[in-house]
Amino acid sequence: MDIDIYKYILIFSIFHSSTYLMFSLGFSMLFGVAKIPNLAYGSLYIFSSYVVYSLMTYLGLEQVVAALIAVSAAGLMSLLIGEAVVRPALKMPVSIFITTLAVAYIFEEFFRIEMGLKPITLPLYPGVTYVLGVPVSNHWFLVLVASSLMFSLLVAFLKYTVLGRSIRAVAESWEESRRLGINPLKVLRVAFFVSGIYAGATGVLLTPLKALTPTAGWGPLFTAFAIVALGGVGSVSGTLIASFVYGFLEQTMTYILGGGIASISPLILIILVLVFRPQGIMGRVE
Amino acid sequence: MVFAKRSTKDLIIGKTPFFAVLAGLTLLPLLGVGGYWLDVLTKVNLFLLVTLAIDLYSGTTYYLNLGVSFTFGFAGYALALLNIYYGIPIEYSIFLAVPISVFFSLVILLPSLRIRGVYFAILSLLIPIVFIGIVTAQPFSLYLGGEGGLRYKQLFLDFARSLPPGIRLTFLQYSYYYISLVAAVIGYLIAYKIGFSEFGFMLRAVGQDEELAESVGINTLKVKVIGYLISSMYVSVAGALYASMRSPVTVDLVVPANTLVPPLTSAIVGGLGTIIGPAIANYMLLLTYESLWGLIGRWRVIVYMLLLITIVVIKPQGLVFRIYLDLKKRLRGVLLE
Repeated sequence: MDIDIYKYILIFSIFHSSTYLMFSLGFSMLFGVAKIPNLAYGSLYIFSSYVVYSLMTYLGLEQVVAALIAVSAAGLMSLLIGEAVVRPALKMPVSIFITTLAVAYIFEEFFRIEMGLKPITLPLYPGVTYVLGVPVSNHWFLVLVASSLMFSLLVAFLKYTVLGRSIRAVAESWEESRRLGINPLKVLRVAFFVSGIYAGATGVLLTPLKALTPTAGWGPLFTAFAIVALGGVGSVSGTLIASFVYGFLEQTMTYILGGGIASISPLILIILVLVFRPQGIMGRVE
Repeated sequence: MVFAKRSTKDLIIGKTPFFAVLAGLTLLPLLGVGGYWLDVLTKVNLFLLVTLAIDLYSGTTYYLNLGVSFTFGFAGYALALLNIYYGIPIEYSIFLAVPISVFFSLVILLPSLRIRGVYFAILSLLIPIVFIGIVTAQPFSLYLGGEGGLRYKQLFLDFARSLPPGIRLTFLQYSYYYISLVAAVIGYLIAYKIGFSEFGFMLRAVGQDEELAESVGINTLKVKVIGYLISSMYVSVAGALYASMRSPVTVDLVVPANTLVPPLTSAIVGGLGTIIGPAIANYMLLLTYESLWGLIGRWRVIVYMLLLITIVVIKPQGLVFRIYLDLKKRLRGVLLE
């Protein structure tokens, strides 16, 4: 076998893993706090991308400006989703599956009607760099830098700020944290906002590399789902490890088996892991 | 379990809504409902079985099984494969596909039955996704039809061909409708019996507090497995019948949006664990959804979803069952006066 293939797999595994990390972080944090998977998380990804696209095409804004607006918009949209459909249903967790799923369908259908099914794309960050002789678009480096930054910021936020600590407290126990004077609903709001920003940023950064369609949100959602389950709910380091396991496995399998079946091989692994270790790699037994 | 004996009058009033709806559904084709709406009703009848399955298992034990669409689609695929590779006519392969699908659902989900809460939900949601991946991926798609699906002669097609051309389609539609109606009625009656039997209360006990249930002598694992078996049997019957009535079986059957979300919605809006509520909600919601198509065209998904969110946000515990009880009380008041 050609040695170049190994290099290729290695390099792209790292890049792909970093995108999974970026997207899963927000999902993981929210999941940890509310103990509820936000199924509308994938729609924030397409939402921010379509906002950037519209701002650039119809208002002629610079990509960076449009991206910043879109990411903030995604944060606010996430906050709105949390307030409008998650909070009222908190008493009946099963209902949250339905309400967030309904939101996801509303987004998908809205963009289907307004934007059509034709895939759109955004401009790439220009230039190509050679890594170990493999040509890599500079956009991938932008993604890598952004994702490391987002990871460090989240870790620092959760560890060293009062708000971040209260998020962890609420994730630990909703009741206990209330006794300590933390308002869990306020914390939930923060978690929704931050996770929206993470989803939005992922959308803005990844759409140039992939085509965007109204259904593009589901793939990342299931990936995030799988990664969070694998890493352990609410564990940031677990998410980091799981993202890389997922990314490496997917890239390697794509090379060995080619296309199709490779994309689900990580899922099969995750199902096996969950069966034998239900709490995930870094999760704890409750 | 012993309940207070009810008076005959009470009993008659209690059963009135059921027989009214049954009579209505039986007579609909004779009243001129046909074509598109009869097809829709056939589908809704079969979806009732899925709704009841979700309600019987997830609605009582709170183990949210999102893998229902896997069982549904698997039954369809089993039916198609039996027909194509073993030459078993569809009429008979329905009876074989159901046990095969139940068996596989059990084998695949059995290890995860010890996982609780959100993890169980996640795991069960991943299973249909993996199944879709397998069906559409290279080496398997050659045998499983890939995106295009598997084609076969649907139920009664051979017989219908011997009929004069004018009534072929009508015959198929009518026979499918009545098959689905019979399945729905039998399914409903059994679900009602199970839901409020001793076993039904054991399921509820598991849902309330598993350790407590164990401590009062309920074998929770056994209850969960049997509950899951019954539930997947319902879904398999629905899936096999559904697939037998429309020829190419494709991954659409497994996509959660198509075969999980509508019944799950009905179960929640109807009121989890109440059997009657979800059954009513099943007809109301699915028929509303279909009629929105004529009213607002492509905006129907958005409007329907907004409606759904509103209902769930206002009454997360379910709406239909309460309204039903309320109406029944009033009806009783009027009739007993």
